[in-house]
Amino acid sequence: MRLWRHLVFALSSAWQSFWRNAAVSLAAVGTITLILALAGVNLLIGHTLGGILDQYKSRVSVISISIADGTPLSTVYDFEGQLQGDPRVSSVTLITKDEALAHFSADPQNADIARQIEGNPLAAKLEVHVASLADVAAIDAEARAWRGADPANPTDYQGEFISRMLRLSQWVDWAGLVVLGILMIVSVFIVMNTIRTAVYHRRQEIEVMKLVGATEWFVRGPFVIEGVLTGVLAASLALGALLLAYHPFVDRFHSDLFFIPLGYDPKFVAELARDVLIGGALLGALGSYIGVRRYVRV
Amino acid sequence: MVLQADFVGARPLISFQHVWKRYPNGTEALRDVTLSVPEGDFLFLVGASGAGKSSLIRLLIREEKPSRGKIFVDGQELGRMKRRHLPHYRRKVGLVFQDFKLLPRLTVYENVAFALRVLGEPGGEIRRRSTEALETVGLAGKLEKYPRELSGGEQQRVAIARALVHQPRLIVADEPTGNLDPATGWEIMQLFLQINHQAKATVLMATHNRDIVDLLRRRVVAIDGGHIVRDDRAGGYHETLAASGLRA
Repeated sequence: MRLWRHLVFALSSAWQSFWRNAAVSLAAVGTITLILALAGVNLLIGHTLGGILDQYKSRVSVISISIADGTPLSTVYDFEGQLQGDPRVSSVTLITKDEALAHFSADPQNADIARQIEGNPLAAKLEVHVASLADVAAIDAEARAWRGADPANPTDYQGEFISRMLRLSQWVDWAGLVVLGILMIVSVFIVMNTIRTAVYHRRQEIEVMKLVGATEWFVRGPFVIEGVLTGVLAASLALGALLLAYHPFVDRFHSDLFFIPLGYDPKFVAELARDVLIGGALLGALGSYIGVRRYVRV
Repeated sequence: MVLQADFVGARPLISFQHVWKRYPNGTEALRDVTLSVPEGDFLFLVGASGAGKSSLIRLLIREEKPSRGKIFVDGQELGRMKRRHLPHYRRKVGLVFQDFKLLPRLTVYENVAFALRVLGEPGGEIRRRSTEALETVGLAGKLEKYPRELSGGEQQRVAIARALVHQPRLIVADEPTGNLDPATGWEIMQLFLQINHQAKATVLMATHNRDIVDLLRRRVVAIDGGHIVRDDRAGGYHETLAASGLRA
């Protein structure tokens, strides 16, 4: 019951303090809204680029091993089994020479060449889906060392392209994290200074609280709640703006840059809403806690 | 010079044992202070500005820690008290200041009730105890007034009611009549005497008001240059000056 009364006191004090200090509080909400909106845009861009990269990654994480003509079927099956047992490999598909020719001929672009082909010059193949792009090189090395591989053209592995892709993917991740980190630090500083202004305005009250025996957390509580309130309000506004802008942006992007596979992802929007709201609340709590820690010692 | 109190038999509520206070800037505010205050005592702390009275009070309410020596209040050593226990200690001490320290946005009643609200006391208990404290100081008819609508004496009464609402065993007052005219100051002193007599609260009061000290003839502890230079059971302000050569 006592805890409940303390909570009620802290909530009402925080609410009063927020509005008593309205100009500073609203300025902080506005600035943090912009920062969280930027952070949200950063997350959206990261998610979109990540999606595009994932699509490319899934394409290049498949390597085709050409099987030399005359390789005994048992040797092929043995190697196929060996690859299937490898934890780095998600799946292996054997494409026979006939199937390879049928696929080739089925493509309308190859129609002219297909008509001129005599016999079947295409090699049988093992199509290997590697779980992680980072392991493709190792699987390629294994394939090249296999005695059944076509010595002229053992695999279609594009090492340089993949390593570039990996580097780009890492850069995108790091750049996103750095931008996010900077934005978060700036937000914490803004909340900290807003709360210090509130502490200054309420210094008399704080002094009396200390004199009559209030605990440190009783004095701090309303400021931390005020910080959370500032963070959550800013997060809600930022989220509203992001949600309003997301759909039209994707539509516009689609019409202007149709070759880039960008789509509206409702699952990501739900995750974004959760992250921005929790992020706003935590930033507010952290900023206000740091802001009052030194000034509200009993 | 260190003077020992001569109250034999009574249990000391406050005990300073060879206490020194040196601030980081090198100022030595208290030097080897030994003082014993029995429960129920009424003590005036006198001395010129900068003599060490405020430092002694800051140590007593544990705003500061002694540099050397020990301070006991009700058997608890303040220097070793953990920060989390400080609020509980301060609830046992009623504090009254020269500038009243009232919250201007709160009414008389709310100012007093605030001291109980911060402890999370139930509403009924807050009402009962706040009203009772305000009746004791004679302000039962002014509960809804704001501090700005009251005279200086009335504001000090509110501050005393707020100090009393915890039913403390010790009242520490720092120049409580400093902002009041002599007649109002005398009324406030009557209130402190009444609290000391009826509620059996120990009162330690720092003051420059020589008329009051001379009239009441209570225990007087004089400080000069951080030392206790006189401790009289029924002293006067004047004798302090004569004996120690303190300035007025």
